[in-house]
Amino acid sequence: MSAFHEHALLQPAQVGVLDQLPQLLANGLVFSCIIILGAIGLSLIYSIADFANFAHGDTMTVGAFGAFVGAAVFGSGFTIVVPFTAAVVDLRVPAPDIVLFELPLSLYLGLLVGMAIAACVVVVTERLVYKPLNAGSIELLITSIGVALAYRALMQMAFGAEQRTYQISRQGRIALFDAALGIAVTPRDLVVVVLTGVLVVGLHALLQYTTLGRKMRATADNPNLARVSGIRTNEVILAMWVIGGALAAAGGVFLGIDTLVRPRMGFDILLVVFAAVILGGIGSVYGAMIGGLVIGMAHELTPVIPFVPVEYAPAVAFALMVLILLVRPQGIRGESV
Amino acid sequence: MSGKRLRRVRQWIGGFYDSLDAVDQRVLWGVIGFALLLVVATVTGVMQLGFVLPTLALTGMWVLLALGLNVQWGYAGLINFSVAAFWGIGMYSVALLATPESPIGLSLGPGVAFIVAIVSSALVAVIIGIPTLRLRADYLAIASLGLAEIIRLLIKNQEGITAGTQGVSIQPLLPEAVAVIEGAVGAFDSVFAWDAVAFPYRGLTDLLLVSVAVLVVYLLLRRMHRSPWGRVLRTVRADEELAEALGKNAYALKMQAFVLGSVLMGIAGFFYAYQFLYVSPSELEPINTFYVWVAVILGGTGSNRGAVLGGLTIVLVREGPRFINDAGLLPVDPAAFRLLLVGLLIVLIVRFRSEGILPPRAELIWPAARETNSDGAGGDVS
Repeated sequence: MSAFHEHALLQPAQVGVLDQLPQLLANGLVFSCIIILGAIGLSLIYSIADFANFAHGDTMTVGAFGAFVGAAVFGSGFTIVVPFTAAVVDLRVPAPDIVLFELPLSLYLGLLVGMAIAACVVVVTERLVYKPLNAGSIELLITSIGVALAYRALMQMAFGAEQRTYQISRQGRIALFDAALGIAVTPRDLVVVVLTGVLVVGLHALLQYTTLGRKMRATADNPNLARVSGIRTNEVILAMWVIGGALAAAGGVFLGIDTLVRPRMGFDILLVVFAAVILGGIGSVYGAMIGGLVIGMAHELTPVIPFVPVEYAPAVAFALMVLILLVRPQGIRGESV
Repeated sequence: MSGKRLRRVRQWIGGFYDSLDAVDQRVLWGVIGFALLLVVATVTGVMQLGFVLPTLALTGMWVLLALGLNVQWGYAGLINFSVAAFWGIGMYSVALLATPESPIGLSLGPGVAFIVAIVSSALVAVIIGIPTLRLRADYLAIASLGLAEIIRLLIKNQEGITAGTQGVSIQPLLPEAVAVIEGAVGAFDSVFAWDAVAFPYRGLTDLLLVSVAVLVVYLLLRRMHRSPWGRVLRTVRADEELAEALGKNAYALKMQAFVLGSVLMGIAGFFYAYQFLYVSPSELEPINTFYVWVAVILGGTGSNRGAVLGGLTIVLVREGPRFINDAGLLPVDPAAFRLLLVGLLIVLIVRFRSEGILPPRAELIWPAARETNSDGAGGDVS
């Protein structure tokens, strides 16, 4: 949740709630980006591996901590906590960091490191845990809970239970947006939105214009038909785990930039991501994007809803999810249950 | 006791033992061995009676939770991820209705709290069940976790009613009963002379009360499981369409199982509040739900005696790391270690022993209906 909520609480009740709408929409867009990145991978896994992967939220956590390590290795403003030891080793590179949009270059590199680490972790998990299981979707679901707890426990053992930040210096609002629209947007908000846009457009291009993308769409649509058509579905499934894991990691890093990095961050956001996936329609990548946008907005627009305090923002998302399940279980873009 | 009666008891025990299969016998010996170890540890003073008795009482509470989830997941195949929420409803029934320390300050007594725990968990189960039980199994999992989180957020944020994160302290259950127990057992103070000051009459009272509850629930569930209701529930779990083709209302049956299980969880929450004497919204964290899941799938999905074993296991998982840590053998955060243990247990059980340690067998058959001279198959345990 952004700092703006605390600010909003200080306002006299009802006065200017609607005046804040543009600001809330801007906050919602940033939060939506995080949800969308998580939802795409969750939806892909749901459609191809055919189970609700409860470890996906904790994959986001793995990505966020991976970026933490990556940024520390490349960066100048970080101290490294060597995982699984109490020792804090300072590996500071003396050169000053290059800054892009008021964020250190090391953090961008850390993002890539986090995405790579999360992709590796999910592929190894798939090979070691899910694949040998050869069981139904319910057994896989229950197993993924175990995996989620193990990820979180390992992160907590490695980095401690306390919350961290990426140590980004305080940022002011961008003057342009402030003057033109009267909304407070920090450079990091802009970076999150732009990078999410790049990732989403990249995925769209991959799905629509490459052979791998066509295979993925075919496999998601009907795995058996894809297999008899000569598609090596194993490769496709691997690619899907890599993409899902990497995007989840990016979402985790952005969540870390927007709020804090802590072992529970991914699990806490998992249900909101599930809400987005269910709203969009399980298995539909584009549905996940729409669902993420709607759920992210709903989450941040809680102050506009009468009689609902902001502490209930996640509850609003969950309630929305149950409502969708009731009215249209197949989601916006889904075809059948 | 006459020699004849003694012989009959010995015969019954022998018959019971022979009716167990090899795994059951090994588990039985394991539990007996563990109990002896506990007795030795207590008598030699390695463990304080003031710790052992309340912990055993807590074990009974976890067994109740596992029995409740077993009705839902084991009998009816419902993936309920809101165990902690129903548990919380039970404990907050006590905190809000029977505790002067709560913000609303009602002291209506444990009896009212017990009834309200049952009624409110049944009501919430119906409210959650109506939208979710028609859904696909995995949707139920997600939706029930979401609804459980809503309940947790409500308890956490409605500070005017629940005291929020501050939590509520609770006074012991039935101080008169504790006094009676003290009068009855106080004679043995000399036996436990070394521990006389801390002789845990309250722990003993809690243990007796929860033991009665576990026994009643166990026998009731065994009876229900063998009834036509239990058999048709198994059919629903195995093949819902078949059950409906036979004219059974699968939705109604699932709702009954869901409500029954949730009520047991609410009762467990009632006992927990009085055993732990403090409740806070952190008890409603999803991790507690997953503890109960470990208990049920480790014990054996659908098996009540498995749920009892699972309840024991949870206490070991929760308390064990603390001992290892106290002994200085655990180089990592014990909380994280416990989390890892739960996670790995789930993964390993599903992978290597998905039917659990004590899978259900023959529990749907009345002992009288069983062939008496069969090849030793079938037992009286479920």
